[in-house]
Amino acid sequence: MLDTVRQIETPEGVSLRLHAAGATVRAHAWLIDFGLRAVAACLLLAVLGMLGAAGAGIGMLVLFAAYWIYGVVCEVWMDGQTVGKRVMNLRVVNADGTPVTLLPSVIRNLLRTVDGLPGIYGIGLVCCLIDPHSRRIGDIVAGTMVVHVLQRGALAQVPNEAPEPPSTPLRLEEQEALVAFAERGRNLHEARQRELGDLLEPLTGRMGNAGLRKLLAHANWLLGRT
Amino acid sequence: MKQERFVALHDAGWSEVEGWMRGSGRKAWSSALAERGLDFPSQYRRICQHLAMARARGYSHEVTDRLQRIVDQGHRLLYRPPAPRWHRVGEFIVAGFPRLVRREWKAMAIAAALLYVPTIACLVMIHFRPDVASMIFSGQALDRFEQMYNPARDKIGRTSGTDVAMFGFYVLNNVGIAFRTFAAGLFFGIGAIYVLVTNGIMFGGIAGHLDAIGYGGPFWRFVAAHSSFELTAIVIAGGAGLRLGYTLLAPGRMRRGDALREAGGVGAQLVLGAFLMLVIAAFIEAFWSSVAAFPDVVKFGSAALLWLLVIVWLMFGGRGRRSGD
Repeated sequence: MLDTVRQIETPEGVSLRLHAAGATVRAHAWLIDFGLRAVAACLLLAVLGMLGAAGAGIGMLVLFAAYWIYGVVCEVWMDGQTVGKRVMNLRVVNADGTPVTLLPSVIRNLLRTVDGLPGIYGIGLVCCLIDPHSRRIGDIVAGTMVVHVLQRGALAQVPNEAPEPPSTPLRLEEQEALVAFAERGRNLHEARQRELGDLLEPLTGRMGNAGLRKLLAHANWLLGRT
Repeated sequence: MKQERFVALHDAGWSEVEGWMRGSGRKAWSSALAERGLDFPSQYRRICQHLAMARARGYSHEVTDRLQRIVDQGHRLLYRPPAPRWHRVGEFIVAGFPRLVRREWKAMAIAAALLYVPTIACLVMIHFRPDVASMIFSGQALDRFEQMYNPARDKIGRTSGTDVAMFGFYVLNNVGIAFRTFAAGLFFGIGAIYVLVTNGIMFGGIAGHLDAIGYGGPFWRFVAAHSSFELTAIVIAGGAGLRLGYTLLAPGRMRRGDALREAGGVGAQLVLGAFLMLVIAAFIEAFWSSVAAFPDVVKFGSAALLWLLVIVWLMFGGRGRRSGD
């Protein structure tokens, strides 16, 4: 429940990380899609209404498309994203992490009728909360899941400081933690930075800002700067 | 190798691939590949190796996260399933779908029995006891049926609406029912059984009642042609739903999840075929069945041809030589 990341080993021997999307974001995406379809259908019906009885027939085809076909067409031809999912940065993927294909998409959209019961997505919600990858029944039968599309953040740089080797050799995890702190420490306010830095007093031999600078110097050395 | 040096060595290559993938997202994959040739797979695999090295050497998150993003995106691009091919559609209709229906003949037979046994039972019952019809339908509904199939009308099977309007209505209504029948089959088949049996009772009830009051002629003239595609499609969608529900109950020698995924794949193909059949049925129903002017020979002759077409198609389509796969 806590860790929603699913790891898949690729043929290259590295692992993909799929971040399962929970019920709330998916509900948002669904609402956006729903609104979009409702508005589009209303506009089209209003125009078709002027055509008389034949217009009503075409109008019903429009309703049919909006209800049953919209999801499949979007998912298959827009890389697993309906408009709502694109806005919310979600994507439907097959079990191997590739964008969803036709048959799985058909299955998951047909079984929406089951997930939708009772009321608004009752079964789907319960299933989504129980499943470790937040899949609804349609996703389980289709073998798909909905994942977050990760956005690329700006790269954080370690501030420059004259490099200095640590007084005692550090283990790999300790090195990683130290560099991560140097990269992201600036996101914390200064008192908190100092507080964290003071925990490493045995390593740096200093307290406060001097200790922080010393840590940065070690991080610079670990990164291989000269 | 220290992290900074590693990044300095490879940064240019990573940036180039990142930039290219960002651009190719919008372009069609084939044109993107043509422009890139065979470079991309080897470049991608080199980056995978960089990621593995970065992990093993304990480089910071800024490096591993960036490489992870490139790998995620590259994987999607490189192992992207082929786009749907249109010639496969024709192949599926002519050969694949009939083959699938025959392979799942047990489910189809049960679904057919669930639909036709109540139909015939109702027909026979109302033939001998006409008052049974008023137990099945309300008086209002019976009135409406009698209006729809009144022999004096020039359009049968409807009280109002033009051909196009009725076509839209039939698609929205009938295809929706077929889709729901399949989906509801997941509840251990109960949903599919319910839909099949109630449709059978309805159909048999209407037919029996109209026959009893002497409106049988227009009714059979109306349903004979399009029922070939429509009833068969309902049976197929129901059968697909039954198979889904049965798989949930008795997955056989597979794990339940795997068995369900397989049944879902088979079911989706069957439902796609049924969808096509129902669109054809709606077309016939709206533009051909409703015309009352043709003589009986034309009406029933065309109906017999359509039934023959459906039966031959489903029994013999795709037999013999397997092409392609």
